[in-house]
Amino acid sequence: MNKFNRLPGNAAMFATLALLAGTAPAHADDLYSNSVRLGAYFVFYHVKADDITGPYVPPGVNIKVKDLQTLYAAYVRRLSSRFDLEFAFGLPPVTKTYGRGPATLGSVPYNGVEISTARWFAPTVLFNYKFLSENSAFRPYIGVGFNYTNFYDRNSTAGGDAASGGPTKLSLTPSWGPAATVGLSYRIAAHWSVYASYSLSRVKTKLSADTAGVIRTTRISFGPQALVVSAGYSF
Amino acid sequence: MIKSILYVGVLLAAVWLAACSGSSTQTSAVNPATTRGALVENPPLRIASLDAATLQADLAGTASGAQLLQATGNPACGVDFYYLKFWTVGGANESTESSGALMVPTGSAAACSGPRPIVLYAHGTQTNQAANIADITNPGNSEGALIAAMFAAQGYIVVAPNYAGYDISTLGYHPYLNATQQSEEMIDILAAAKSALPNTLATASSDNGKLFVTGYSQGGYVAMATQRALIAAGTTVTAAAPMSGPYALEAFGDAIFFGSVDLGSTVFAPLVATSYQHEYANIYTATTDIFAPTFASGIDTLLPSTTPIGTIFADGLLPETALFDNTTPIVTVPNNPQLSAQLTAALALPSDPNNPLTPLFDVGFGPNFLINNDYRVSYALDAAADPDGALPPSALPGAPLAAVPPTQTLRLAFYKNDMRNGNWAPNSPTLLCGGDQDPTVYFSVNTGTMAAFWSALVTAGEVSILDLNGTPAGPFAAIQAGFQQSEQAQLAYYESPAGGSNSLQGAELLLVEGYHVAVAPFCSLAARAFFSQF
Repeated sequence: MNKFNRLPGNAAMFATLALLAGTAPAHADDLYSNSVRLGAYFVFYHVKADDITGPYVPPGVNIKVKDLQTLYAAYVRRLSSRFDLEFAFGLPPVTKTYGRGPATLGSVPYNGVEISTARWFAPTVLFNYKFLSENSAFRPYIGVGFNYTNFYDRNSTAGGDAASGGPTKLSLTPSWGPAATVGLSYRIAAHWSVYASYSLSRVKTKLSADTAGVIRTTRISFGPQALVVSAGYSF
Repeated sequence: MIKSILYVGVLLAAVWLAACSGSSTQTSAVNPATTRGALVENPPLRIASLDAATLQADLAGTASGAQLLQATGNPACGVDFYYLKFWTVGGANESTESSGALMVPTGSAAACSGPRPIVLYAHGTQTNQAANIADITNPGNSEGALIAAMFAAQGYIVVAPNYAGYDISTLGYHPYLNATQQSEEMIDILAAAKSALPNTLATASSDNGKLFVTGYSQGGYVAMATQRALIAAGTTVTAAAPMSGPYALEAFGDAIFFGSVDLGSTVFAPLVATSYQHEYANIYTATTDIFAPTFASGIDTLLPSTTPIGTIFADGLLPETALFDNTTPIVTVPNNPQLSAQLTAALALPSDPNNPLTPLFDVGFGPNFLINNDYRVSYALDAAADPDGALPPSALPGAPLAAVPPTQTLRLAFYKNDMRNGNWAPNSPTLLCGGDQDPTVYFSVNTGTMAAFWSALVTAGEVSILDLNGTPAGPFAAIQAGFQQSEQAQLAYYESPAGGSNSLQGAELLLVEGYHVAVAPFCSLAARAFFSQF
């Protein structure tokens, strides 16, 4: 929750920047109701996982997840001069998980070894409030909403299979969680704008690994923070 | 431009849908068959993979492990520990899932790679229902560590069941000393292991066609029963080494019922009675037929248990040592006062001052006893009427079983499961190893009886007998000397301040109490040396 508590401060900062940047002349195109955006998603995972538990697992066996970049896409519906509804998602990225804990399990390397990969589809709905008038070229905004995350293409790597003791089937429960964003738009032409935003969401999942009928589990809390840089077309 | 963006959106959606339809990695294939010997998961779970250096370091890190290394030598190979689940049958032919270990040597050395010989191993009596001999991560799994270091780390593929009634088996009891069930389960796990070998995780493994059978204590008996069953099935056993097993069950039972109460008998008794009750359904009508009322209730489901045996003793569910009533029963045989007097005397408290085990036998009697005097008398009457040929007063040449099957049902069960039954003999090299001071499984009554029984049935040299307490001689002289030196060192330790400053008598008693366990690594070493000849 502390991360979300930072939002008002960040929003004020962006609002101040926008005010300093001045305003652009009003334009009739501002009233376009729809826009689509494409850009880059820089995802910084902040993973906290319980130690993995289950048969034949020594204490202190944990995981870490590598940060990544992917494609950002969104559809935004203008609701009023102040409010937008944003449907955002990233191109489902391949997320790599690495062993964290003992250097070896028995004689099998573990710490730092890529043990699994998964894609996740994480659509997010945000209700955004835009500051300044529609005449402004710069418009800071803040938004809140929710995120749904579904994991698929879950694969245990050869390193993961070796650590687990055999071919391993992974399952991750889907997650619903809150999401928030703070951003800044800059209109560069009648239909075109560029955006930068910083988003937070909360994802919780239970990882189960099935190796020859032996189940090992952990609960994982992601606090993914995403920096998005995008361009949008309004129509 | 709009069309381009929409196209990207459609493309992303297509990617999403395509991705969703993809399957995640699968775990091992599950075999739906429940026929005997069917491996449930293939490949099986590898619980641990230890290279030679790690295995050595792990063992050297504990006092018991370091002691074990002195007997086994340093590992030449790494070991992968697989957990097998397979189907077998219980004592009444019930289908049940069971489990066990497959230990595969690893490493590039010639002694560790390529097709390897198999050691089929049977473990000793275990009271812990959850015991898993494959779980090398459990510090309490000393027998698993022993066979890993002794055999697998020296290039043998080791296959060892946990036994039905243990671990994942939901049988509800253990077919203890049931020759048919236990040997069939050994053969079942061997089949399951051979199914698993081509699919092991590191590299495909295979056996070289050589099959060695061994086991300790209860497992020594199971190893011999397995050897007999494999011979009957036409399977070649390269060599066998049953160790310290209760092979001559009828003679052993007679010795115990006539007062030579062995160490651990209060644990063995309920396991035996429950096993044979399931097999023959005639051992008792109610548990009170055998057991004292104090202990009879629930004794048929008491062992094996996830409750530590020490707690079971402390909770008063079993007496720790008192198998029999210390009030001697008065035997009355109608119209035979002489036999009545002889039997009454034979069932009295042991008093032979020349037998060093007499004090040990005496603790087998007490006021809070396990087995009723009436039941003991019924057994003794049967033994008197139809004596076992291995024991006085018969002590017949060749130590045969009783001339005709007994009528007392427990003694009849012993008779049926006695390894002399079937008039068989090994057709491949066999080593019987033990120690003649063993207070738990008597050497002379079991190993000595089998040696006498087989003497007329096997070709010269086919069966070797090794008494670790014998005068060191022959191919195992160094092992005999090593064991005896180890015992002397242990005696000195018990007398030292670090070992409790025991008197000589107290130290000797402690040595006797630990004897059966102390023999195991030395006999296992002898077995390995024996197998290495073939």
